[in-house]
Amino acid sequence: MPIFDQGYQHWTGRLASHGARWWAITRQGLRTQLRNRHTKYLVVSAWVPALILAAFLALWGLLEQKSAVLEPFMFLFQWLPEPIKQGPKAYRTTIWTIAFHWFLWIEVGVAMLLVLLVGSDLISQDLRFNAIPLYLSRPMRRLDYFAGKLGVIAAFLAAVMVVPVLLAYTIGVAFSLDLTVIPDTGRILLGAVLYGLLVALVCGLVMLALSSLSRNSRLVAMMWAGLWLISGMISQSVGSSLRHQDQRRPWEIISFTHNLHRVRQALLDTEAAHRQLQDLLTQAQKAAEAAASGELPGGLSSLPPPSQPRGPLARLFRPRRPPTHPELTQRIRSSAVEQNETLRNLLVSPYPWTWSAAVLGGLSLASIGVLSTRVRSLDRLK
Amino acid sequence: MLFELEDVTKTYGKVTALSSLTVAMPTGAIGLLGPNGAGKTTMIRTLLGLIRIDRGRGRVLGLDIARQQLDVRQAAGFVPEDECLFPGMVGVDFVAYAGELCGMGPRDAIQRAHEVLDYVGLSEARYRKAETYSTGMKQRLKLAAAIVHDPKLLILDEPTNGMDPQGREELLAMARDLAHAKGMSLLFSSHLLPDVEAVCDYVMVLGGGRLLASGRIDDLKQASERQFDVRVKRHPEQLASALAQAGILVHLGEDSLGLELPPGLSLTHVWQAARRAGVQIRSLRPQRSTLEQVFLEALKLGSRSPRDVPDANL
Repeated sequence: MPIFDQGYQHWTGRLASHGARWWAITRQGLRTQLRNRHTKYLVVSAWVPALILAAFLALWGLLEQKSAVLEPFMFLFQWLPEPIKQGPKAYRTTIWTIAFHWFLWIEVGVAMLLVLLVGSDLISQDLRFNAIPLYLSRPMRRLDYFAGKLGVIAAFLAAVMVVPVLLAYTIGVAFSLDLTVIPDTGRILLGAVLYGLLVALVCGLVMLALSSLSRNSRLVAMMWAGLWLISGMISQSVGSSLRHQDQRRPWEIISFTHNLHRVRQALLDTEAAHRQLQDLLTQAQKAAEAAASGELPGGLSSLPPPSQPRGPLARLFRPRRPPTHPELTQRIRSSAVEQNETLRNLLVSPYPWTWSAAVLGGLSLASIGVLSTRVRSLDRLK
Repeated sequence: MLFELEDVTKTYGKVTALSSLTVAMPTGAIGLLGPNGAGKTTMIRTLLGLIRIDRGRGRVLGLDIARQQLDVRQAAGFVPEDECLFPGMVGVDFVAYAGELCGMGPRDAIQRAHEVLDYVGLSEARYRKAETYSTGMKQRLKLAAAIVHDPKLLILDEPTNGMDPQGREELLAMARDLAHAKGMSLLFSSHLLPDVEAVCDYVMVLGGGRLLASGRIDDLKQASERQFDVRVKRHPEQLASALAQAGILVHLGEDSLGLELPPGLSLTHVWQAARRAGVQIRSLRPQRSTLEQVFLEALKLGSRSPRDVPDANL
């Protein structure tokens, strides 16, 4: 028996406006998901590529300034083609594009895992515990409910895709000590941020739709994994059997993640980066051929010296040890073809990006349709 | 007025859930009675602005149910009949979350959640997962979640379903307290007439989506002109015998007599019988109908065609 029983007391505090009701759902979702240590580990590990990107952009800024600070680290740049080393500013947009491209490529993989972890029980558990009437009998609309749930996924994806992009970009600009970097690379920032938001929106809607299809969160997680991994595998297997029949590789639109990659290529304009790198490699090839035939006084020594580069960019710019005659010309040609093909696969897709955009748009619309039928309003017979 | 509905009609395909429902109820504790399929849930959802009505209009606490649904739900608290929970939360988080969904700040919500959990008697279980609560505890939890933002109107849909007698009594006591001591209006939907009678001042009876009866419970329980309760000082059996000889139907109770006057006889015959038996009458008052009788009478009236019902208000 309490010593002093207050009984019921009236409350006279202030209430927030209706417009921000969705945020209460998002906030609660974030609180709940952050109690899961796997989610926390994944978010922290997703920041490792972001740190690498930021460090790379900082070093690139120092390289542009030919800073003395960079001297101990010059060995990291020995593998770069000579034209880039001589005038890095001219290749700023290209290198930044490729750096952000790689970063986002990695983060999409992380995002898929993160969505699987945080999204699978967002609606399925509400259906299981019949929580929908509790939400809808509060001063909120169904749209607020969906926005709140979508906000949970979007917040996590923004934390691993948009926030790191903004921070890395800021660091890159700060280390470049050159205001022209903003007009040069502003488009990359815009594209990367838009891409992060697009991934959050599409993945969020699709996951919410899947989550509304079952009361079993594990089943939802399996459906998501199926969409992500199995669609990729099907695309690959179809591609391996039809590779020589259609140069446009239309089967790639079967893969959910490939569609995301294709839209990223369009937003970051990686095709332009590819063209510039292709020109560079062609020049290097010509120089090597000329040297091999004795036309260049400096011979192949004018090409970048051999090194052991690491990291995702290494394969692109891996320098070749100067070969000896007589197989010289053939080997130079074949390596240039190989490099160009790798670059093309990475940065350019042969079919229009609008196909992928249409696939993603269709998936989003279908998801909205599923959500509106699965999470019904209370305007129905009991 | 607490709420007013005017010519409200709602159909779901071929099913008419509400049929030209017109009702106006004052503030206070209102019981909502009706058999299954009477339209009680549809009416509650209409009041909360959760459904789009086909025809008619209505106001709750002066707010238009068609245009100010969010404001209506802001001013009302709702305890649904079904078992429904926010998953994975302990009691205090559950109630605080309900408060946040109504627009309370997180700090206010958690503070208020502790207060209302104390009020509903869940203070000991506030840090337990809501899924592990018993049926009665879940009902209390839903009540706490409904009153966390201090609504002006509390809607309880079958709140005592599945509760043990003691828990039911406690919940009814809370509902009574909120309605009569805390100034909160109540709409109490239940099949259990004693529950409604214990809590409410007013009642409305629905049947087939129509209003069959409404008004103050005391007024609805009409005084009978032919049936009376009689208390005597001693020897009730002597009076019973004298009344029977006079042709009056008598039911001998433990400490009183129930009697029914046949046509042609009046109370004068009762007094004469008492004088003959030499019994002193201490009290003689007309019997009043029970709420159950009111309810059954209303349903009987409602089972006729709508044109046969002269006036829904009994």
